[in-house]
Amino acid sequence: MALINRTRHPLRSRSEIIFRNIVIVLLIAFFVLFFVLPIIMALIGSFYQWNPLRLQFNFLGLDNWKKVFTSKLFWSSMWHTVVFALAAVAFRVVLGLAAAHALYSRSIKHKSFYRTLYYLPTITPMVAVAFVWKFIFDPQFGLLNHLLGIDINWLFDGKYALPAIIILTIWKDFGFAMVIFLGSLYSLPKDCYEAAEIDGAGAWQRLVKLTIPLLRPTILFIVIVSLISYFQTYIPVMVLTQGGPGTQTYLVTYMIYEEAFVKYNFGYASALSFVVFLFIAVLTGFSFKISGERSLS
Amino acid sequence: MKQKVYSVVLKGTLLFFGLLTILPFVWMLSSSFKTNIEIRSNVQSFIPQQFTIQNYANVLEHFNFLRYFINSLLYALLITLITIYTSTAAGFVLGKYRFKGRQLLFTCILLTMMVPGIVTIIPRYSIMQFLGWIDTYQALIVPSSFTAFGIFMMRQATFSIPDEMLDAARIDGANEFYLFHRIVLPQLRNSIVSLAIFQFLWAWDDYLWPYLMIRTEKKSLLSVALNLFNGRYSTDYASLFAATSIAIIPVIIFYLVFQKHFIEGVSSSSITG
Repeated sequence: MALINRTRHPLRSRSEIIFRNIVIVLLIAFFVLFFVLPIIMALIGSFYQWNPLRLQFNFLGLDNWKKVFTSKLFWSSMWHTVVFALAAVAFRVVLGLAAAHALYSRSIKHKSFYRTLYYLPTITPMVAVAFVWKFIFDPQFGLLNHLLGIDINWLFDGKYALPAIIILTIWKDFGFAMVIFLGSLYSLPKDCYEAAEIDGAGAWQRLVKLTIPLLRPTILFIVIVSLISYFQTYIPVMVLTQGGPGTQTYLVTYMIYEEAFVKYNFGYASALSFVVFLFIAVLTGFSFKISGERSLS
Repeated sequence: MKQKVYSVVLKGTLLFFGLLTILPFVWMLSSSFKTNIEIRSNVQSFIPQQFTIQNYANVLEHFNFLRYFINSLLYALLITLITIYTSTAAGFVLGKYRFKGRQLLFTCILLTMMVPGIVTIIPRYSIMQFLGWIDTYQALIVPSSFTAFGIFMMRQATFSIPDEMLDAARIDGANEFYLFHRIVLPQLRNSIVSLAIFQFLWAWDDYLWPYLMIRTEKKSLLSVALNLFNGRYSTDYASLFAATSIAIIPVIIFYLVFQKHFIEGVSSSSITG
């Protein structure tokens, strides 16, 4: 036994080397072909007038990049994206925490039933769900106006179109936050709560003074993960509003989608996509730091 | 008394959230059994006044939705099988073998997770054009054959297999291929089930790439067909409700059957992530 345990490896048998080499070669080939090469192509392409349908590839220098930063549509898309992301994140966290906290309570039965129910929208396919919501927002026969007894033309009124997309996103995503929060709630130290109860802290006080501070790492985790995904949202826009009315619901990824696959301006779209890339990279940097802290705590 | 009020408030909150969650699905399903006239009428009810299955017959017969459904099903199954296999193999090599550059390779794979899809999808389109793969299924399958998330998850999972078990088999003369298929894959079945469920749903959800790659309508996937249908028959609400139900209800059933794995999968991935 001592002989075997002494050093597990380097690789010993021929079959180990063959197996490893097959896997590694395929793995590297895949990631080079579908990640490294595309990123290099996008970076180079952002300096070109690049149209795949007309097979154009003409050097433009910095024109695409200048266009990014002088484009009104880009800045308004960025602004809409920030508003959309912050609103959706805020509601996702608050509703997710509220649902998790309610579910955590001892007096609630059928916990797993509710958990299953709330998580349901998260797993359903986005395109199909977006269609259902398109009808829910319909001013004539839509469920929302009928239920609330109001008369709002959600998707064609500049004031309500972006909120409509936010509502759909919150509905679809709060269950994910709920499941994560619930898991964290169960792992919180019980003795703190016993001590707080003995000290006469009420339920609200325990939530604000104890639970929320203890859940800080989880809240940060959900905020970052959500921001990353909300910066890349485009399907609800595509199905519900196509950016309209006017340009009121252009989100930045939807704008890139349109430049690339409606207008086939691959060069300009690549330059735009690198701006999103940069944002995501910064957020991911944060998330690695936080998950490091989370696993330590 | 205060306790009681608190408990009622809690239960009310939960029920409210529950209704909120499920209402869109109930409405979709009930509308899919209504006529267009009833959908557009001012008086609305959750129970169809004039129950009809004509909408389903319509989308299945005239618009080939059964075909799209089967395309999506086969596509999602195939992607799931391939990624399970590649993720486990890569996870095993990266988790259990010791060799130079192993950590670097793993870090690089993880880093690809932060690359937004919209960055790589533009050049990938050109690559597929160059390869002449547009309008073929390999254009859908090959770019999805490895996933960083799957490799990460399966690498973590291989840590649960004791080295002694693998060495004992090696001493008995098992080669690595035998070891991988007969010991590693079966040992990791719980993680594989979790990964498979997520992978299947993600593949079912795929939209933009299949939309860009597939030109022949017969080869379309369900989500893409849904959008095409909406473009052409945007006033036939009843049929659209039936079509979305066909895309959503099977997923819900699938979810209810495997729900335990979902919640475990989500909770565990958040702990490691």
